[in-house]
Amino acid sequence: MRVGVTNLRVKYAGASELLFNDLTLHIEKGEKVLLLGPSGCGKSTLLQVLSGLIPAAVPVPMKVEEKMIPESTGYVFQDPDAQFCMPYVDEEMAFVLENRAIPRSEMKGLINTYLDKVGLHFDDPHVEIATLSQGMKQRLAIASVLSLEPDVLYLDEPTALLDPEGTKDVWETIKKIDDDQTMVIVEHKVDHVIDFVDRVVLFDDSGTILADSDPETILSFYKHKMKEFGIWYPGIWKEHEHGLKRETKNALSVMTIEDLKGFKGKKCLVELPEAVIHEGEWIVITGENGAGKSSLLLSIMQVLKTTGDVHVDGKALHSIKEAREKLAFVFQNPEFQFVTNSVYDELAYSMSEDVQNRVTTWLQNYELLNHQHQHPYQLSTGQKRKLSVGTALFGNQRILLLDEPTFGQDAKNTFKLLEYFEDLRSKGITIMMVTHDPNIVETYATREWIISKGRRVSDRNVNRGEEAVVHAVDS
Amino acid sequence: MQLTLDYNETWLHRMNPAFKLVFFLFLFLGLLFIHNPNIITYVTLLPLILVAFFTGHKRKLLLILMIPFLLLFVSSSSSMIFFGQGTTTWWKWGLIHITEESFYRGLHIGFRALNFALLGLIFALTTRPVLLFYSLTQQLKVPPRFAYSFMAAVRILPMMVEEFQQLKNALLVRGVKKEKGWKRITQSITLYAVPLLSQSIRRAHRIAVAMESKQFHNGKRTYYYETRLSKFDGLFVLYIVLGVVTMVWLGLEVPTYEITDVRNSD
Repeated sequence: MRVGVTNLRVKYAGASELLFNDLTLHIEKGEKVLLLGPSGCGKSTLLQVLSGLIPAAVPVPMKVEEKMIPESTGYVFQDPDAQFCMPYVDEEMAFVLENRAIPRSEMKGLINTYLDKVGLHFDDPHVEIATLSQGMKQRLAIASVLSLEPDVLYLDEPTALLDPEGTKDVWETIKKIDDDQTMVIVEHKVDHVIDFVDRVVLFDDSGTILADSDPETILSFYKHKMKEFGIWYPGIWKEHEHGLKRETKNALSVMTIEDLKGFKGKKCLVELPEAVIHEGEWIVITGENGAGKSSLLLSIMQVLKTTGDVHVDGKALHSIKEAREKLAFVFQNPEFQFVTNSVYDELAYSMSEDVQNRVTTWLQNYELLNHQHQHPYQLSTGQKRKLSVGTALFGNQRILLLDEPTFGQDAKNTFKLLEYFEDLRSKGITIMMVTHDPNIVETYATREWIISKGRRVSDRNVNRGEEAVVHAVDS
Repeated sequence: MQLTLDYNETWLHRMNPAFKLVFFLFLFLGLLFIHNPNIITYVTLLPLILVAFFTGHKRKLLLILMIPFLLLFVSSSSSMIFFGQGTTTWWKWGLIHITEESFYRGLHIGFRALNFALLGLIFALTTRPVLLFYSLTQQLKVPPRFAYSFMAAVRILPMMVEEFQQLKNALLVRGVKKEKGWKRITQSITLYAVPLLSQSIRRAHRIAVAMESKQFHNGKRTYYYETRLSKFDGLFVLYIVLGVVTMVWLGLEVPTYEITDVRNSD
């Protein structure tokens, strides 16, 4: 056994139940193990226990009958911006070598060797980390962890915050690491790893192991369980009962955009020469990180300095105040939009008439009635997102702008949110949504804009899943 | 977000940062012992020359940075000039009372403030934080635990600036009603400080865990940058010593003002 725990019990402060109750997991040398489970089932916690971070660096009360933690471990975290302590690539790599007390004369060579292993090539590795793409940052994180020469490599959702391009690069990098490297992996984007791992451990939402076997067995015998607990699995989108509502396309235009340009200082971040948006459309805005997708939404909302015209229902928007009455906007980080101390107050904040009735109805409809007195920060990520949408739609606006609302959520939450949006859309609300997920484009969007370098390079109508099926039958 | 400036490396950058820090502290102290306005006026030339020619930054940037310093000079000297005590009255109008003594004392204080500011500017413009902390651990034996935490903290600052922007936008979009008077202050604290702090605390914790996972410890380690004393440190000491000697001599032999000691002469 390379790494493992026998009868592990973990309890977080304030939690009423044990997170793990007598959990046993043993991993052999050279194995590549994927831990799968719904959000909040404790996969990351288990990974931290297996790597020794709990309790050494993160004090969490735990009890274990027997544990085997390798001497040298490497841990790649989720957030590319929260795992470096130095400003430059070479300095960050050197940080690990310094910790290992490697003589200074050998550092330069080793830095290049490890950067090579993850396919990062610089003429001079003295490059600012802040200038790298998120995908490159994660590859740098892997390189610095490899330079620890770890017995076991732990990967804690290394691509959760990356775009599809970055995700692909990172997994290709990981797959090139030596064959006999032991790895323990937590990853939602199952498609990328399922062919790579030799063993899958499946958890339910209370942190109990449901199954522990090779990927084929898990996929053929436990799909229903994965569906039940809302775990991503390959092909889930095909089986997803998306409950698409009837198209309400009646060519009634709700918003027109002419010569819109959004500026930061004097720099033009994004431009859109013209666009007509119709009622009931679901426009998905895609493109690489930093292409200007968020800037486009901010420009429409008049948050950035803009030139050009945005008309909604024939009325021109000049300020955020005017925009707010016509458009609902949800930011990537919902926490930033909360301004009060309870879920109820949050919804009531911008309303002026019939407040109690409307808030209570909303809370009932979207299953948050039991949480109405809680602080918004105490909600789960999925609930936070739902609440921020609810607060944005206070004035029955007809257009909803969303900035990556399904980022880093598990299958259950993602589908719940998408169904919520689809429900809103069927009621006549137009949706404009920034996303990286091609599956959302295929399944839900009625129109896709691709943004590249601050310009819209493609505008196409998408046949929604349902119609595609109908079409197939026809021919 | 990019907060770094482009510059050419000069000999001031190559000085040992810890030595520079300590030496500058002594210079600050030394300035307090100059009481002759003639001398301090000439002495101001020393840091001024360094800022103008040897920091390796663009002229435009330097000129912009000089604006607040001139303001500092004017404000600190003017208050002493207008309201200071003295016996030889030059001009009096209401509360304003300019005397010969207060005028020179004001000028003196202005130059002293300017000297402090210029030295501070030289230090800030020619010292990379990373090298300063490396040098502090190696020369002054500051525990790595503190030095590396500071370096990690420096990295968080630009992220906080970016988050502040996002938060500001989000609150604008929410249409936060601004309170009036005192309540406005408590309101902005809860609206801005709570989310920004909660983000930063969580991020700092994550970075700390990441650092520990990379086997960071407080014990024996090697250093990627070895910081030593070099000829540039000698050069700087020489510049200051020769410079001060020259300026003191000039101040005594070629005085520009009649007064030679700004302290009360009684």
